[in-house]
Amino acid sequence: MPLMTDDPIRLKHRELEKIALCALHLARILVECGARVRVVHQGASLVARGLGVEPIGLRTGYASQEITVRSGANTITRMMTIGPHGVNHRLDHAMRALAARVAKGGMTASEVEAEIDRLVKTTPRHPLWLVAVAVGLACAAFGRLLGTDWLAFGPVFAGGALGQGLRMFLLRRGVNAYVVAAAIAFAAAAIAGTAARLVDSATVNLAMMASILLLVPGVPATNAQTDIIDGYPSMGSSRAVTVVMVMVFATCGVWLAEALLGVG
Amino acid sequence: MAFDWLHLAHQTVFGAVAAAGFGVLFNFGLRSLLWCAAAGALALGVRTLGLDLGWSLEAASFVAAVAASLSANALRRPLGPRGNAVALAGCIPMVPGAFFGQAILGALAVTTPHPENAAVILTAIEYLLRVVFTVAAIGAGLAIPAHLLKHRDF
Repeated sequence: MPLMTDDPIRLKHRELEKIALCALHLARILVECGARVRVVHQGASLVARGLGVEPIGLRTGYASQEITVRSGANTITRMMTIGPHGVNHRLDHAMRALAARVAKGGMTASEVEAEIDRLVKTTPRHPLWLVAVAVGLACAAFGRLLGTDWLAFGPVFAGGALGQGLRMFLLRRGVNAYVVAAAIAFAAAAIAGTAARLVDSATVNLAMMASILLLVPGVPATNAQTDIIDGYPSMGSSRAVTVVMVMVFATCGVWLAEALLGVG
Repeated sequence: MAFDWLHLAHQTVFGAVAAAGFGVLFNFGLRSLLWCAAAGALALGVRTLGLDLGWSLEAASFVAAVAASLSANALRRPLGPRGNAVALAGCIPMVPGAFFGQAILGALAVTTPHPENAAVILTAIEYLLRVVFTVAAIGAGLAIPAHLLKHRDF
């Protein structure tokens, strides 16, 4: 059926679809890296315009997003699901740089797709052991800011670092993020509490709380507000609800650990 | 009025360590981690000074977030578009996660068949309100300067 490919409207729609999906792909990565909705929409718009079409509508929800693009009289709307939300600063900025590059023109949708895939694969990440050690140190520092004594510094570090290691292990196995929050909170608080007790710390309770601060979703909490301020209350409230849910599950874990150790 | 400089230094150093630690978790590059540490030190330093001056936690956190956001905007040349992310990382040590946990634990105590006394309820509500207002203060402190200064780098 060679006539089908010669149909200008069908061909235009196929091109539009490629461009729409390309813009959505970049936008999806940005959301998964923890970007604000305004940035996500800016990135998708830059890609669409750089590829020669006009974005006339964008919607970003917590689990999916949509775009409508137009070229002349033709429009097309496409939707894409969004994966687990996280924070990845370097990939976020690699995507922003790519969007700015695409906006200058000269790239095709296929080239942009290939570049997105390449950046996802090659953007460096810190080694797991370094992340665990850094998070342990951050929790111990948090503990000092909260008022734990020096004896609790090591136990909080151990609880935070081991908790982070366990978190990465469970998330890579696809365990539900809220279940992970409860499990990590229990493990980190139990480790920190037991160790703090062994070293005769006077701040066992605070040490247990400090060891789970790796779970506090600080970036989503502030992004929730920024999204609402920027005029995206649905995404902002979704993020706020997830923050509350993570903290509820994390607190359940701490509560179990406290009950187990008899700390109250 | 005499400041406790040792306490200020302590909070500043541990604010820097916490911000840099979370910067690693958020996959900041090595050079950006130094900026995260600086932002954390600044935010905790300002907040500690505010608290020592008798401000509430919410007011001190707001001013500290404004200071971090303004500094990131003032340093746009070396920081580039990552300035807002660095300011945010610097404010992470001020997010009252421990209060949030205490608020939920307090709420659990309130729902027991016979809560010990009204103080349990008051403490739970106090922690919860403190979390809400402090997180709101940090978010507003970060957002307001960025919006007013109109730096819309991508």
